[in-house]
Amino acid sequence: MVIYLRSGGRLRERLRPDVDQYTRRVEVGGSPTLREILSAMDIPLALVAFGFSDGKVRRLDYRPGDGEVITLQPPVAGG
Amino acid sequence: MYGFGGTIVRINLETGEIRRSPTPESFAREWLGARGFVAKTIYDEVPRDADPLGPENLFIVAPGVLTGSFAPCGSKLGFGCVSPLTNGHADSNMGGHLGPEIKYAGYDMIVFERISPKPVYLFIDDDTIEIRPAGQYWGMGSLDLETRMKKDLGEDFQIATIGPAGENGVGFACITHDFGRQAGRCGVGAVMGSKRVKAIAVRGTKSLPVHDLPGLTKHTYDIIQRTKPHPNMEPWQKYGTALFVSWANEHGCFPSRNFQTTYHEGWEGISGEKLAEEVLVTHKACFGCWMNCGKYSRARIPGKPDTYLEGPEYETIALCGGSCGMTDIHHVAYANYLCDNLGLDTMSGGNIVGFAMECYEKGIVTKKDLEGHELRWGNIDDFEHFVGMIAARRGIGEVFAHGTREAARKLGKGTITFAEQAKGMEFSGYDTRWYSAQLLSYCTSDIGAHHNRSWAITADIELGQDTPVGKAPVVIYLQHIRPLFDTWCCCRLFWGELDVTPEEHTDAIRYLTGWDMTIEESMRVSEKIWNLTRAHYLERNGGPGRKHDVAPLRQLEEAIPNGPAEGKKVGSENFEYMLSDYYANRGWDAEGNPTREVLETLGLPHVADNLEKRGLLGRPIPGGIPKVRGQKLKPKAM
Repeated sequence: MVIYLRSGGRLRERLRPDVDQYTRRVEVGGSPTLREILSAMDIPLALVAFGFSDGKVRRLDYRPGDGEVITLQPPVAGG
Repeated sequence: MYGFGGTIVRINLETGEIRRSPTPESFAREWLGARGFVAKTIYDEVPRDADPLGPENLFIVAPGVLTGSFAPCGSKLGFGCVSPLTNGHADSNMGGHLGPEIKYAGYDMIVFERISPKPVYLFIDDDTIEIRPAGQYWGMGSLDLETRMKKDLGEDFQIATIGPAGENGVGFACITHDFGRQAGRCGVGAVMGSKRVKAIAVRGTKSLPVHDLPGLTKHTYDIIQRTKPHPNMEPWQKYGTALFVSWANEHGCFPSRNFQTTYHEGWEGISGEKLAEEVLVTHKACFGCWMNCGKYSRARIPGKPDTYLEGPEYETIALCGGSCGMTDIHHVAYANYLCDNLGLDTMSGGNIVGFAMECYEKGIVTKKDLEGHELRWGNIDDFEHFVGMIAARRGIGEVFAHGTREAARKLGKGTITFAEQAKGMEFSGYDTRWYSAQLLSYCTSDIGAHHNRSWAITADIELGQDTPVGKAPVVIYLQHIRPLFDTWCCCRLFWGELDVTPEEHTDAIRYLTGWDMTIEESMRVSEKIWNLTRAHYLERNGGPGRKHDVAPLRQLEEAIPNGPAEGKKVGSENFEYMLSDYYANRGWDAEGNPTREVLETLGLPHVADNLEKRGLLGRPIPGGIPKVRGQKLKPKAM
């Protein structure tokens, strides 16, 4: 299946977008977790605070569906 | 002059005299506003032995060059003085709408001198400046007073207030505006209170002179169009900073029970998702912002009145929540409300209550000390009673009212080993035992342990969490770039989150002022301020500098007992290595004192002279100082 990962900032450098400036198309087999997908892409898990799709936070144990677009949010300071 | 209000105001609170003078363009360009104006003015004018809460200290209110300019989120307003918490330079800033309003009234800096004989508030309505009696407001909570003054003066006045903690000189009292935006750190609210200034109310209706209005408008419009579809926009709008509770917990930097550990049982109950589900009422934005990361909330606790507040943000959740052992977002929100209305910084406040809870757990503070109450982890009633004692400086509240360092000094019994502070300023909401660059950031900061001076957590991840090597130059770069936003006075989230570059901010300054401003010039200003405030700290507190850059023993030698970072600690040897590396990369000597060469390079020869007279000038560096001080993080090759 295919999922789309999006990110800005430093994570974008890791993600290497190929669809538009933020988005990378990723083909995956089976039904892997976000953690497994990111590990396979060699993206350090500590640099991803969470995923976000359909208005909801997605933890790294989330299993994306076919065609799902997931934003990867880096950790930041604030407040 | 373009981009500024054009006038500096000085108010002698003792005599009531109000003096106005034009803002010199050379001063504006050299120091850029807010933090820069404060650093220069405090250094030049406050005697080194002045009591922070005495008449010789100044209390300064200053917007920055981008405040009110329609550059991305030019909302910020700086406050400054000598800090009662650290006895060094203090600056703290807030978003909201007051900064632009001051500039639209025509003012670039307001300097309060001496002490008013009676409670007063500052009233500004464009050219009208009055010191008005505030006896009727004295004793009121910050949030309650803002509501009252909006009724008394009109909704179109922007208002900043202090609460009882500021009136009573609590060392970590804050200033509140817009029902939840705070200049929280360094005890600026205590200094405002020491002057007997209860509030500042401003209405400004003038326009800001812009050098190239079409250019600035297009520049900002293009940034808006580009950032609206940015992937990070939606999660930030929906949750704000609170979303990082879970990440911090999973990665071993979330403070739990006064930093005893970094894995907080029950974190789900105080997470960003729980905030959105349980307490969020609506989203809220500062001036000139299209992100709306502010969260307006309602806390509902059986037996207590419903309370409304802005927040809680990550730092408040970490310190009033995790560090005090709380597991219910309503309780954290209520703690946030209590601190806001009493006029206490939620960061230092939460940290100190957590520290006191550990003292209670260890039997160092007793029920008798607490007027028959307890101080149990996670208990909101205990929290409420104790912060009331602190704000009133009542009983043992007085011991804790001047920060953890001072409390530990008074309590003894080894409490300093678990007082999580640097230079007297309490840690922000990040444990550093697996994040040594963050510890270096905290301990070398001019104002103490504040994450907005340098947030190096991701630098630690990139450079290696188990090594001290290579951290110092990156920390120095961060200490120049992050506080630069407090000098320009625009929100740094557009940089950190939405890829608006620092160069785009200097482009905005160019359109606004007509100056040929570059990022290199701005960074040089930031480094100059850093060296000036370092010198100021040494001149007030003696040297050598190294003796002040001290880390809490818990962070150095007490291994994290459980969770993802189990067994981690920085280690004294690693910390000393980082300090030496830091000084060398700053062009300071091995004892942490600035050298003449670096000060003269930055245009501060008189500061070198002052340090030399006091025996505090760093020894010359064999081979000279580094040509460039600080280094931007370069991610490891993929």
